[in-house]
Parts: sequence; C-alpha cells; structure tokens
Amino acid sequence: MIPFVLLGWYVVNYDIEPEIFDFTVPAIFVDEIFGEKFAFGMTENNILNEIIGVVLILSFLMVAFSKEKQEDELIAKIRLDSLVWATYVNYGVLLLSMIFIYGMSFFWVMIFNMFTILLFFIVRFNWQVNKLNKTMSYEE
Amino acid sequence: MKNSIKVERAKKNITQAELARLAKVSRQTINAMELGKYVPSTVLALRLASIFETEVNEIFSLEPSDWE
Repeated sequence: MIPFVLLGWYVVNYDIEPEIFDFTVPAIFVDEIFGEKFAFGMTENNILNEIIGVVLILSFLMVAFSKEKQEDELIAKIRLDSLVWATYVNYGVLLLSMIFIYGMSFFWVMIFNMFTILLFFIVRFNWQVNKLNKTMSYEE
Repeated sequence: MKNSIKVERAKKNITQAELARLAKVSRQTINAMELGKYVPSTVLALRLASIFETEVNEIFSLEPSDWE
C-alpha cells in the first residue's frame, strides 16, 4: 500500500504518462474538455493512473477490512463506530475544504478525498484496538 | 449495566483467557465487560449464563444510569 501511495503522489504531481501505458480502452462515457463526447465506445487513455487508483483502493480496503486475529462482537462494534467516525471526519474536512479551498487546490482535495475516508477509518480503528489491548493489563 | 462476571469466574476458578475461549470471544472482550466498558449482546450474555450454569439475571443487572 505505502509504495503505491508514494508512486501515486509522484505520478499525479509530475503528470507522468509513460507511453507503454497508452492503451485503447473501452469506455462507458467520454467527455473530453477539447474533444469528443460520446457514450459507449473506445478511447485512447494512459492507464497508469487507473492502475494506481485501483491498486490503492484495493489495498486500502484490504488493510481496513481484513479480519482481526479474533474477530468478535467487541471488534465488530469498534469497526462500526470507527466507520461512522471516519465518515463524519471525512465530510467535516471536505466541507471545510469546499468553503476555504479554491481553484486547482480543490482539485487536489477531490483526489485525496477518494481515499481519505478509508485512511481515517484505518487510523481510528487501529488506534481504538491498540487502546483496548493496553487497558487489559490486569488479570485476576 | 452492572455485572458479576468476575465473581462468577472466581466461583468457577477460571481465568479471563479460559472464559474467553469457552465463550468464543477475545480476552479483551471479557476484560472490557468486567471493567464495565462494554455491554455484551444478548447472545453473548446467554452464552456466559450457560457457561456459569446460571441465569442472565444473576450475572447482569440494571443500574440507575441505564434509565437515562
């Protein structure tokens, strides 16, 4: 996951589109800024960013929702709580960004926002599980 | 909600880990319940009662804050 986060940041930041990733791909909808507009067809595209996006989302999902060693009802509760919390925080941040960030910077906000809900979830969930493990020092 | 899991456990002389294994939950869950930090599901409450060979009412009881 982490190598792809770095790779994704690098690729988007420097607008890298190596030719080996140029493919003609099927599309459901195409609407280019200075070009054609049609539904269902084939289009030219550099698939590097698509690959990175898909791998990122899949790896985030795997990290976020893989089962704990012992998945019981307490873990399930922490999981749900964290998901709700992540949703609140994510939309809170998005609201603030909408109000205070403009232009190309907001485009960046939208890119990050594709992943932040899962990121917030992972951070909060692991933090809560760690906290639970720490409070269990005593026995008998 | 108050509970007497710790007392019942002492009566049966089993550890948190053993109780966790019997109830098919993690030791963290047993510990959180004993500390009053977690209210178990009805199923888990019934399982505990069954393990301790008693009634759910004997282990768990309401306290005033549960009515708020």
